[in-house]
Amino acid sequence: MYIPIVFTFANSSPSLVSSGLDLERSFSQMMQGVGFSPSLAHLLWLPLPMLLVLAAAVVGVLVTVWLERKISAAAQQRIGPEYAGALGVLQPMADGLKLLVKEDVIPAKADGLLFTLGPVLVLVPVILSWLIVPFGQNLLISNVGVGIFLWISLSSIQPIGLLMSGYASNNKYSLLGGLRAAAQSISYEIPLALSVLAVVMMSNSLSTIDIVSQQNGAGLLSWNIWRQPVGFVIFWICALAECERLPFDLPEAEEELVAGYQTEYAGMKFALFYLGSYINLVLSALLVSVLYLGGWGFPLPLEWAASWFGLPLDSPLLQVITGSVGIVMTVLKAYLLVFLAILLRWTTPRVRIDQLLDLGWKFLLPISLVNLLVTAALKLAFPVAFGG
Amino acid sequence: MFGFFKKVVDYARDATDAANYLIQGLAVTFDHLRRRPITVQYPYEKLIPSERYRGRIHYEFDKCIACEVCVRVCPINLPVVDWVMNKETKKKELRNYSIDFGVCIFCGNCVEYCPTNCLSMTEEYELATFDRHNLNYDNVALGRLPTSVTTDPSVLPLRELAYLPKGVMDPHDVSANQPRAGELPAMVLERLKKDSSLSNERSESVNDSINQDESKG
Repeated sequence: MYIPIVFTFANSSPSLVSSGLDLERSFSQMMQGVGFSPSLAHLLWLPLPMLLVLAAAVVGVLVTVWLERKISAAAQQRIGPEYAGALGVLQPMADGLKLLVKEDVIPAKADGLLFTLGPVLVLVPVILSWLIVPFGQNLLISNVGVGIFLWISLSSIQPIGLLMSGYASNNKYSLLGGLRAAAQSISYEIPLALSVLAVVMMSNSLSTIDIVSQQNGAGLLSWNIWRQPVGFVIFWICALAECERLPFDLPEAEEELVAGYQTEYAGMKFALFYLGSYINLVLSALLVSVLYLGGWGFPLPLEWAASWFGLPLDSPLLQVITGSVGIVMTVLKAYLLVFLAILLRWTTPRVRIDQLLDLGWKFLLPISLVNLLVTAALKLAFPVAFGG
Repeated sequence: MFGFFKKVVDYARDATDAANYLIQGLAVTFDHLRRRPITVQYPYEKLIPSERYRGRIHYEFDKCIACEVCVRVCPINLPVVDWVMNKETKKKELRNYSIDFGVCIFCGNCVEYCPTNCLSMTEEYELATFDRHNLNYDNVALGRLPTSVTTDPSVLPLRELAYLPKGVMDPHDVSANQPRAGELPAMVLERLKKDSSLSNERSESVNDSINQDESKG
């Protein structure tokens, strides 16, 4: 029933969408104007987006932690953090500072090297995955050809770190938590990858830029969520499981396992886990918005609005406007999903480990396979609507 | 074949039911976001204890006649009444009186039965100490009056829910002279008096007529 809508607009995008704000080209031109060689200009450019995205990720985490605490408080008729800064916005900073100056304890019977390496191995892949998160046509660190595949492969490094820290802590709770985390990550990676594969099949590319561009032909109506509703739900469930968010927070189930693999951690190493889990949550939300909610796309294509106002597509003003609207839209969609995750946290009870694995292997996996096959069939039947 | 088909349909129905219940739950959580917090920012804000609040017991040494009724009505015979018989005046001479609030359950029986009203309940509830022996109050400590929440300048007193004006939920924006919902005990008493005087007149007339009937009979 949604096919005819997409029929007319889908895949008309590449010709319509302008190249958008390309900061690197502008920077390179500016540097060459001053007298630098193109390769040197590129070298000077490289650290800028990396630092910017790292800063964005960390600020995103601070905002998410604050939102989590405030929304949780609101859902329980509490006030939440209030005294650190206006409305407690500095509370996550205060928490971070406290963890930074806290004593770094390594248990006597723990394996020091693995114990230290664990949190690093959890955090690094998550931060590295921000490489492929697009905020606009050219607003990402690197348009890797294997984009979304890179993210899936990076996210499978994480359970190694979790298992490592759980095992190295030499503590029964940590070990159980680490094992659960590994089992959970591995089980939910497969339906996750399969639902991503269906999207990839429709956009004929693994690159996140292409996936978003393919959705931006007709604004809201051409978003993948209408063509992949099942995939969207599966992806979101799996993303929650990968982030160890509440219906699936067994690895750190505090009633049973104290804090799971984090039990023995304190100070900055604990902060790395904490940071990692929240960066992962924001990242998952961003990727859901990229894969299913049209990424940086405004519900109404801005190119149409520009043509109504008679603005040329390559005018600097329009480029800046579309660029900033793109960033705002990506972040807005991601934070709506974060909000949904927080609501889910206070709505759903924690599943048991057998229910978790049942859901992953017996429900999500077959459904995502069927979803993939149906997508393939639809792609053959309606190549125009499903990216033939 | 049909059995398998039924299984598939049942499975699909279970899945949609589960999703439906999940959405209902989310709606409930979302609805809770509308409700305002009812937080009292202790110790900067405190609720005003109700007039029948059973807090720390106050004791007036000079009123006490050392009758030990408080000890007899106490579930665990807690009050320690230290008196000696004065042979010359043939009267009890009270020397010390103490109650251990680490053991007291604040049932108020002693207050209820004290014949001279020398025991009373205060609204003090902040009894925390570093040593449990400090909770054993002697007659001097028992004689101290607590700081009232309403007179303490460092505390913002807040009324409890039942003492707020009708329809008000947040005690923060209620001024001290706004009356609570419903009638105060004094008002109830006055109304009852008025009612009973009216009905007394009526019942007296009825009684009169009955009496007349009886006398006739």
